[in-house]
Parts: sequence; structure tokens; C-alpha cells
Amino acid sequence: MVDGMLLAVIVVCAYLGMAMLALSQPPHWRRVAGEPGAPPGCPRRPRRIAVLLLAASLVVALLRDGPVFGSVLWVMVLSAAAAAVAVTLAWQPRTLAQLVRLVDSAHRG
Amino acid sequence: MGESFGRAMTWLHTWAGLVLGAVLFAVFWMGTLSVFHEELDRWMQPATRLPPPPAVISLDRLVVPLAATEAVGASQWGLMLPTAREPMAQFFYRAPDGGFVVHAIDPHTGALLPEPGSAGATGFIVPFHYGLHIEWRRLGYWLVGAASMGMLVLLVSGVVVHRRRFKEFFTFRPDKRLPRATLDLHNLTGMVALPFHFLITLTGVILFMEVYFPSAADLAYRSADNPRGSFFADAFGGFRRPLLNESGELVSLDAMVVEASARWSGSPPRFVRVWHPGDANAYVEVRRTYADQASLTRGQIFFDAGSGRILHQFDTAPVMSTQRFLSGLHFIAFDHWALRWLYFLAGLAGCAMIATGFVFWLEARRRRHAGTAMGGRRLVEALTVASVTGIIAATLALLVANRLLPADASMGSTGRSELEVWVFWAVWLVAFAHASLRGTRAWRDQTWAIGGLAFTAVLLNGLTTGHHPLAALQAQLWAVAGVDAVLLMTGAAALAVAIRLGRRGTPHTLGVDGNG
Repeated sequence: MVDGMLLAVIVVCAYLGMAMLALSQPPHWRRVAGEPGAPPGCPRRPRRIAVLLLAASLVVALLRDGPVFGSVLWVMVLSAAAAAVAVTLAWQPRTLAQLVRLVDSAHRG
Repeated sequence: MGESFGRAMTWLHTWAGLVLGAVLFAVFWMGTLSVFHEELDRWMQPATRLPPPPAVISLDRLVVPLAATEAVGASQWGLMLPTAREPMAQFFYRAPDGGFVVHAIDPHTGALLPEPGSAGATGFIVPFHYGLHIEWRRLGYWLVGAASMGMLVLLVSGVVVHRRRFKEFFTFRPDKRLPRATLDLHNLTGMVALPFHFLITLTGVILFMEVYFPSAADLAYRSADNPRGSFFADAFGGFRRPLLNESGELVSLDAMVVEASARWSGSPPRFVRVWHPGDANAYVEVRRTYADQASLTRGQIFFDAGSGRILHQFDTAPVMSTQRFLSGLHFIAFDHWALRWLYFLAGLAGCAMIATGFVFWLEARRRRHAGTAMGGRRLVEALTVASVTGIIAATLALLVANRLLPADASMGSTGRSELEVWVFWAVWLVAFAHASLRGTRAWRDQTWAIGGLAFTAVLLNGLTTGHHPLAALQAQLWAVAGVDAVLLMTGAAALAVAIRLGRRGTPHTLGVDGNG
């Protein structure tokens, strides 16, 4: 049970981190935001959030599975997360709109 | 980066991909399935769909009586213990006539299970993955090795060729025209799974070091009487002592297993073998499980059969540990469900990358040479269709044949398990013939066939074993339910693709009746 929840945290952090990396690229940002322009503080702000999320994913993976399995698991989850983000951007880009708002508010705050 | 370097890399990437693509797709496809070879075995060998094995197995009660009746006069006998993924135990012995006999047994009762009548994934798909079933002079190993080296070249040159795409990471535009969408998918699958593809290929080559570099052992051990044997003993362990030709007895195997497990900090053994049973010099080999470690590090302990005293303990040496760790990453012998599924998905991404590379090549040629006779392209297209959709259809036909052939099916001296495999080869050949006749339309036809075969396999499994997906879930036969679920998804995906291919039509088709 705890194992499953930790796995979910690893996957969700990796997915959100990859999504943030995608949003640091102006074409993807425009597609998600639905308006012209670039992310505020582009590309550093979304990338900084991405690094935090991906690092969190790694830390949880190492805690869950130890250094060997943890790092292999993290690399494999990153690949899957990147593919999932690409598919989201292709078919349902608006689902990432919340993240755009998050970056915007982080900018104002 | 120089313009000419980029051009050279593009040339290399294009032609190496074209030449090796068919072999690489076969290796990737079979490798992807091998990730779940135990689960496919359960599906293909219904007699082995047993409940989870007991936590503690008494070898003294389970195997020793069995050996006394079954393995009379054997020069060795032993047991491969069950695991969560492989619920049956395998009892084996070397008969007095030299033949090696393996029987699956139920670890709860010790009863012998009936002959499976199927090579299963372990007997067909896994060897296909590393040897293509070409045994002549180990040519298959060498072809796979050469293709793997080619794969490394393709990955590196691919990064150079598509380097601008890294700026458009995450880009996938399925709505665009076919060449564009194909190239997107090629880049996407290639980029996101690049670490996996690189490591799995590299570890695959390292795994077979003694096949590709047999002379390394001869050189390093040239002062030894038997260089190859000394190398294997040092690398993988081993202990031998001759027959004494006096009768001896066997003390408790269970006590040896407990002792071995304690020395491996609680890891259970996977394999127990008695050498020279009944002799005064008999000894017992106990090997550790791989389930709880990433590395395939060998733990081996040899006991004196008569006294239970330890004769020799082997643990993998540091240099070999590196090879064993890399092999372990490749083999995924450990129990880790999340990683197993991720390997499977990354393997599928590899298949998609190779297939889309092919399709892009064909589409580019089709536009460039529209209207001109292009016999070569036609042949490449037939080869491509057969090596992508053809091998998938042939694999599914193997599963369908597995459920359709009666238990005692045979043709002359060909037994049931060989017949199954013949169905695979026959369907693959038919797929190639069909692709050469139908041209581009073969993609859609064979995708329909894949969809039909996948659903048929699930249906036949339900009809012949009673374990339809819901029943399998209820009986907690996760392997069967999992294989069925993947088959259903394959079927659904194939139908969706086939319908889409039909709607898209084949606007670029050259004259199908062939001007080439």
C-alpha cells in the first residue's frame, strides 16, 4: 500500500516535472495557454520548478527502492513521463492549463 | 558541427537503419515479449497455472522420494524451486543414457505435471530474441551481435541527425500528414527512451561476451590446462569432485538450504542439485535466487552430501560483478513489477521507433520517385511490412495455434510444440508473400489480421481453459489475466489503426499491380 502510494508520487512528480519542461518551450506554452507569448521568466522559471519536481521524484524513488533499483526506476519513469506529456500535448493540451496558471502566479508572487 | 559531418551521419543513419531494421525489429519485438516470458508461459502452458507456491518447501519430503522412483541411476538430479512468477517446481535429472530430463511438478503435492506440449515463451520467444533460432555455427548470435553494434551506431548517429529535434522535445503531431507524423513519432520514441535503448543494447552485447570474445579467456588463462574451463570456474563458480564408487548416503537437504540461506543474509535458494547421488563422494550444489537483487551475482555453496558440511562457497568476484550487474539490468530476473512494465513499454517504444524509421524511409522515397518505376522500393516495402506487422501477426498466430492444436497433435515425428512453431514461421512467410502482392495496402490488411488474431487468442483461451479474463482475475491468475488484457488492448489498438489507415486511404500508392 505504502509502496504503491510512493510509486504514485514518483510518477506524478515526474509527469509534472516533464510537463514544466515542456512549458519552458514557447511553442508548447502557447498551445497550452491558448494565447500568444512566452512563459513569464522564460525559460528559467518553469525549468526551476521542473528541476524541483524531478529531484523530488528521484528522492522518493531512492527512498522507496534503494540506490540501485531506485535510480533505474527513476530513469524509466522519466522516459514514460516524457512520452505521456508529449501525448497530452498532442491530444489534450488544455489539461495542462492549471500548470500555466501556477507558473503565472509564482511569477506574480 | 560541420555540414559534411551531418550529411555523413544522415547517410549512415539511413542505410544502417534500412539494412539492420528488419533484424532489429525482430530482436526488439521478441525482447519486449521476453520481459513477460514467465507470464506467457503460464498462458501457453495451462497445466502450470498453479496457485502461488507454499512459503516453505521441504525438499526432503518433496524431491528425495521423487528422485528415488524417477531418477534411478541418474548421475545428478535436482530441483529448480518455484517463485512467485513460476509457480511450478522443475525436477530434473541426467539419465544413465546421458539424456537430460526435466519434469514440472506441483510444489504443493509433488505430483508430476503433464507434458506442456508447448515450448512457451521461454523455449521459443526468448531464444529468438538473442539467437534468431539460427543455430548453424552460432550465426544467429553473431547476427544479433552485429545488429546490436549497428543499433549503438544508429542511436549515436540518430542523435546527430535529429539533434535539432531536441529543441522540439515533446513534439508529436499525429494530425499532420503521414511523413511528418511518422517522423515525430520516430523522434519522440527515440528521444524519450534513449537511455533505455542505449543501455539495453549495450548490456545485451556485454551479456554474450564469451560468444563474441571467446579468445579473451584463452588469452587470460593461457597457462591453465583448460583455459575455457578455468575462466568459467573463476567467473561463474563451480566445484567438482570425482566418483568414489562406494555407496554413500544423503543427509537432510532442508538443513543445507537453511544454512545456505543464512549465509546469504536470508535470501532463499533457487536451485538445488545433488551430484553423484548415492556415492560416498556425492555433493550438493545450492544456488541463490536472483529475485531480490538487480545483479545476477552468483551465490553458490557446495555441501558434502553425507555430512552436510560445507565444501566450497563461491561469490562473484568484483570484476565479474560489473558484468553480472549489467547482465542483471538486461535480464530483469528480479521481482519489480513497476520496472517490468516500464521495460515492456520502453521496448514497445523501441519497436515503434524502428517501424516509424522504416515508414519514413518509404514515404520519402515514394514522394521523390512518384510515378517512376522503383522495384527496389517495392521489395523494401514488402520486407518492411513482413518484418513489422508480419512478425506481430505470426506471434499472435503462435498463440492461436497454441490454443487450437489438440493435446496429442503431431505430424510424423513433429510433436505439438514444434507444430506451434511451424505455424509461426508459416504465417510469417505468408505475410511476406502477401506484402509483396498487395504493396502499400498490405499494412492495413495485416493490421486487421493482428486485431482479429489478438481477439481470437483471448476467446480461445477462455473456451479451452475456462480462464476467460474475469475468471482468471477471480482465480488470481494474474499472469493469464495480464496476457489477456494486453492481447485485448493490442486488438483494440490494431482495429483503431486499421480503420484509420482505411479512412486515410493510400493516396501515394504506386500502381499496385506493379510497374516495378
